[in-house]
Amino acid sequence: MARILAVDDSPSMRQLVKLALSSGGHEVDVATDGVEALQVAEKQQFDVVITDVNMPNMDGISLVRELRRRTNYRFVPLLMLTTESTAERKQQGKEAGATGWLVKPFDPNRLLSIVAKVLT
Amino acid sequence: MGTADAQPPCGCETLEVSAEAAAILLSFAMHESEAPAVELGSALERIDQGLRPCAGAPARELLTRDLAACVRALQFHDRLMQQLAVIRNLLTRLADHPLPQMAGFGAQRWEELLAALRERLAADTHDELLELLMRTGGVSSGDGAGGEQAEGTSELF
Repeated sequence: MARILAVDDSPSMRQLVKLALSSGGHEVDVATDGVEALQVAEKQQFDVVITDVNMPNMDGISLVRELRRRTNYRFVPLLMLTTESTAERKQQGKEAGATGWLVKPFDPNRLLSIVAKVLT
Repeated sequence: MGTADAQPPCGCETLEVSAEAAAILLSFAMHESEAPAVELGSALERIDQGLRPCAGAPARELLTRDLAACVRALQFHDRLMQQLAVIRNLLTRLADHPLPQMAGFGAQRWEELLAALRERLAADTHDELLELLMRTGGVSSGDGAGGEQAEGTSELF
């Protein structure tokens, strides 16, 4: 079981990601944007962070960049979960330090298997 | 009932008011659709909780599969909200600009508007749907585009 932070500005997506991951036995916290995610991530350590890209206040790519600057998140898997699928955006995510790029809509079982994979 | 007298004096004003009304209605629809989606999510959470202690293996498997299908299907809402947001922004710009510039996204010509739309609708499924609409003027069933919701892709770096 892992401790996962799911970041998305859409309430329904936050619920669905939380539901999918908690049904796999993970403990899930949520944040509504990059700024809130940073605050939550500074208070407690997560094993995986899954974030949307386009969000108000701070987007997902900036969040990944910020988290990678922190020593306790240097090696933590950071996954992007977004509707964006262009090579350019993926490259931006990769350069920021993302571990992987998942395009919505996600399948719950597939999400669980990807989380299991990045945790090993 | 309506007569010719009901026509507003200026078509330009009508368009601006219509665009503004459409933007307001879209914002309202987006706001209004949020609560049911959250409620559905909560119902799924309850189903998930109810499954845990629980019934025989086949029933559990079936329900678990249904639960996964619901999670997949409910993501329509997120995509809908994004599309509505695009439309809202388009209409807002339309209302902000004089008639000759009403193509949206700051585009002056149809080709520019199409290019801007393609850039905005980045996902492959959107692109396919846009191409199809451009070719046929509508979406036919059974060709995959715009039909059953496809699963997204994943890539680990």
